[in-house]
Amino acid sequence: MKTWLLAMLLFPLAGALVQPLCGRLFGLGSGNPADRGHWAAIVACAAVALSLCAAVAVLVLAQGRTSALALCPWFGMDGFTAQASLLYDPLAGFMALTVTFVSLLIHIYSLAFMRGEQGLGRYFCFLNLFVFFMLLITLADDLLFLFLGWEGVGFCSYSLIGFWHRKTANVVAGGKAFIFTRLGDLGLVAALAVMAGLWGASSLSLVAAKAASLDPGTAQALGFLILLAALGKSAQLPFSAWLPDAMAGPTPVSALIHAATMVTAGAYLLLRLSPLLAQAPLVLEATALVGAVTALYGALAALAQKDIKRVLAYSTISQVGYMFLAAGCGDVPGCLFQLMSHAFFKSLLFMVAGCLIRAGGGEHDIFKLGRMASRLRRELPGVCILFACGAVSLAALPFTAGYFSKGRILADVLGLPGWPYAVSAVLALAAAFVTAVYAVRLVYVVLAGQARESAPASVRGADVAGINRMAGVLWPLAILSLGFGFVNPPHFLGLTAWLDAALANAPSLPAPALSFRFEPALAAFEAALALAGLWLARRLYGPGQRGTPARTGLDGTGMLASGFGLDALYVTVVAGPYRRLALLVASSLDQTVLDGGVTKGAGAFLAFSKAVSGLARGRITDSLAALLAAMAAALIYLASRLG
Amino acid sequence: MIVPLEHVLILAAALFALGAACAVMRRGVIMILVGVEIMFTGAAVAFIGAALRWQSLDGQAAVILAMGLAAAELAFGLALLVHARRRGGSLKSDRYTGLGGRT
Repeated sequence: MKTWLLAMLLFPLAGALVQPLCGRLFGLGSGNPADRGHWAAIVACAAVALSLCAAVAVLVLAQGRTSALALCPWFGMDGFTAQASLLYDPLAGFMALTVTFVSLLIHIYSLAFMRGEQGLGRYFCFLNLFVFFMLLITLADDLLFLFLGWEGVGFCSYSLIGFWHRKTANVVAGGKAFIFTRLGDLGLVAALAVMAGLWGASSLSLVAAKAASLDPGTAQALGFLILLAALGKSAQLPFSAWLPDAMAGPTPVSALIHAATMVTAGAYLLLRLSPLLAQAPLVLEATALVGAVTALYGALAALAQKDIKRVLAYSTISQVGYMFLAAGCGDVPGCLFQLMSHAFFKSLLFMVAGCLIRAGGGEHDIFKLGRMASRLRRELPGVCILFACGAVSLAALPFTAGYFSKGRILADVLGLPGWPYAVSAVLALAAAFVTAVYAVRLVYVVLAGQARESAPASVRGADVAGINRMAGVLWPLAILSLGFGFVNPPHFLGLTAWLDAALANAPSLPAPALSFRFEPALAAFEAALALAGLWLARRLYGPGQRGTPARTGLDGTGMLASGFGLDALYVTVVAGPYRRLALLVASSLDQTVLDGGVTKGAGAFLAFSKAVSGLARGRITDSLAALLAAMAAALIYLASRLG
Repeated sequence: MIVPLEHVLILAAALFALGAACAVMRRGVIMILVGVEIMFTGAAVAFIGAALRWQSLDGQAAVILAMGLAAAELAFGLALLVHARRRGGSLKSDRYTGLGGRT
C-alpha cells in the first residue's frame, strides 16, 4: 500500500528529474528535427503511465478504506511540527486516478502535438513535475505538505503558460496567472497560520478530528480563508481574470492544467476540508453563491468569445463554478462527480480544439475556422465527431456525463433551504441554459459551415496524418464524456450509483444531505433547458444562417466578450495605479533622490579633490611653507595645552 | 647668567623666524639652504641659553650634534645641487616640480 502510494507520487518526480539530467541522451540538441525530443516524450509518458498503474493498484488494494501514513518528519519549530504525510481515502483515490489518467492521455497527445518543437525537455520536465505536485495536493495529509504541491502546480502553470517565452505576451500571461493565484494563496497561508496557532500542527486528519469541537467563529474564519485560497486557484470570481489569458500556453497545457486538474484543485481542497466547512454554514452558503454566480458569469462570457480557446477557458470557469456550488451544498460525491466528468469532457474539448487549430494553420478564431468546415468534415471526420462528443457533454444533453453531474448539483441546491441556495439555484439553472447555447454554438460555428469562396486551404495533406495521430488518443475521453454519467446516475433511474457508494464509507467525509424529491422533474427540466439551448443556438448559428457570422451583436465585442470588463477593471484599478506608482518611484525617488544623491555626492568629491590638487604643484617652497605652517599650528596647539 | 633667558629665547625665535622666512620666500636653492642653516642656528642659540640657565651640559652636546648634522646636510645638499646643475638643471627651486606628479 505504502509502496504503491509512493510509487504513484515518485514516478512523475523521477521523470521530471530525468529530463534535465539526461537531456543529452535523448538527443534534444541534434539529429532530425522531427524526432527531436522523441525519447524525452516517451520517458515522460512512461513515468505517468507507471503512476497511473500505481494509482489503480492503490485503489484496488485500499478497497475503500482510509489510511493515513506518515513518510517522515519535515520540520518542527516553536511548538509547530510539519511532516510529510499522506491521507488516502476514496476521494483522494478517485482524484488521483483522474489526474493520472487525464495526464497520461495528455502526455501522449503532447507527443504528437509538440513534435519538433524547441525545448521539449523543459516541456516534459514541467509536465511531469506538474503531475507530481498535483498528486501531492491530492494525497497530502499535512496541509503544509499540501501547500508545497499547491505552490508547485502554480509554478509549473507559470512556466508552461510562458513555454513559448520568446513572445513577451506569453510570459506576461504566465506572470498574471502566477500573481492572481498567489492572492488566493494568502488565504491558505493565513489558514495554516491559524491552525498552527490552534493546534501546533495542520493536517487534514487533525482538522477532521477537531472540527466538531471548534468554536463557530474560528471555524467560520478558517472556512473563509480556505474559500479564498480555493477561489484564487480555481479562477472563480473575483479572481477569474487570469484563466482566459493563461490560454497563451500550448494547448495540451491548457487541457491539463487549466481545465482538467489544477483549476479544480480549489474545489478539491474544499472537498478535502469538508469536515471543517460543515461546521461553518455561512461559508458553505458563500461558496454556493460564488459558484453559482461564477457559473453564470463564465457561461455568459463564453457566449461572446471568438477565440476557440477562450470560449473553453470561460467555459472552464463556469463549470468549476458548478463544482463550487456542489461543494457549497456539502455534496462531496456530487462535486467529485462534476470534477471528474468535467476533467474528461473539457480536456477532450481542449485537445480537439488543438487539432482544429493545427488543421486551421494556427487559426484561433472560430468564425475563420468555420470557413473550412466542409473540408474539416470531409478530411478529419474523427476530429469532428470527437468535438461533438465533448460539446454535447458540456451542453448537458440528456444521458451524457455532463447531464448527470450537473443534474445532481441542481438537485442538491434545490433541495436546500435558505435564500442563498434559492438564488444559487436560479443562477445555476440560467447558467445551464446558457451553457447549452454556447456549447452548441461552438459546434455549429466551427463544424456546420458550408464551403465559402474565401476558404483558406489550410488542411494540408501532410497535416492530416499528424492530426489523426493526435486525435487517436482522445477516443477514451470521448467515450467517458458520453458514458461516464452512468457511474453515478440519479436515483430515480434505479441504477447503482457507484461513486456515491464508494465515497459513502469514507468516515472523514460528512454525509451529504441529499434530497430526491425533485430529481425526476428536475432531470426533465434540465433536459428541456439543454434542448432549448440547442434550439436557440441552432436558430442563431445553425446552417441556415451561416452566411452571417458575428451578427448576433454578441460576438467578439462588448461587455460579454471582455468578461464584463473584469480584466479591464483590474487593469484600471490595480495594475494601472501600481504601474504609475512604480514609474513615479522609478523616476522621482530612484532617479532624482537616490541616483541624484549619489551623483551629486560624487561631484562634490570631485570638486574638492580638484581644489586640493591645485595645492600640490610640487613647488619646494610651497611644501616648506606648508611644513612650517603645520608645525606652527602643532606647536600653538601644544602651547595652549601647556597653559 | 647675566643675560636673562627670555632675551636669549627671543633672539633664538627671531633667528628661527628669519631663517624660515628666508627658506620659504627665496627662490634660489642656495638661499633656501642658507635659511635652513639660520633656523638651525636659532635652535642652537635656544639650546645654549637653556644649558646656561639650568647649568647642564646636555644642551651643549645637542648643539654640537646639531652643528655636525647641519654640516652634513649642507654638504649633501650642495653635492646634490652640483649634480643637478651638471645635468642641465637650474638653481631656481621652482624648476624642480617632480613632486607635483606632472613630469
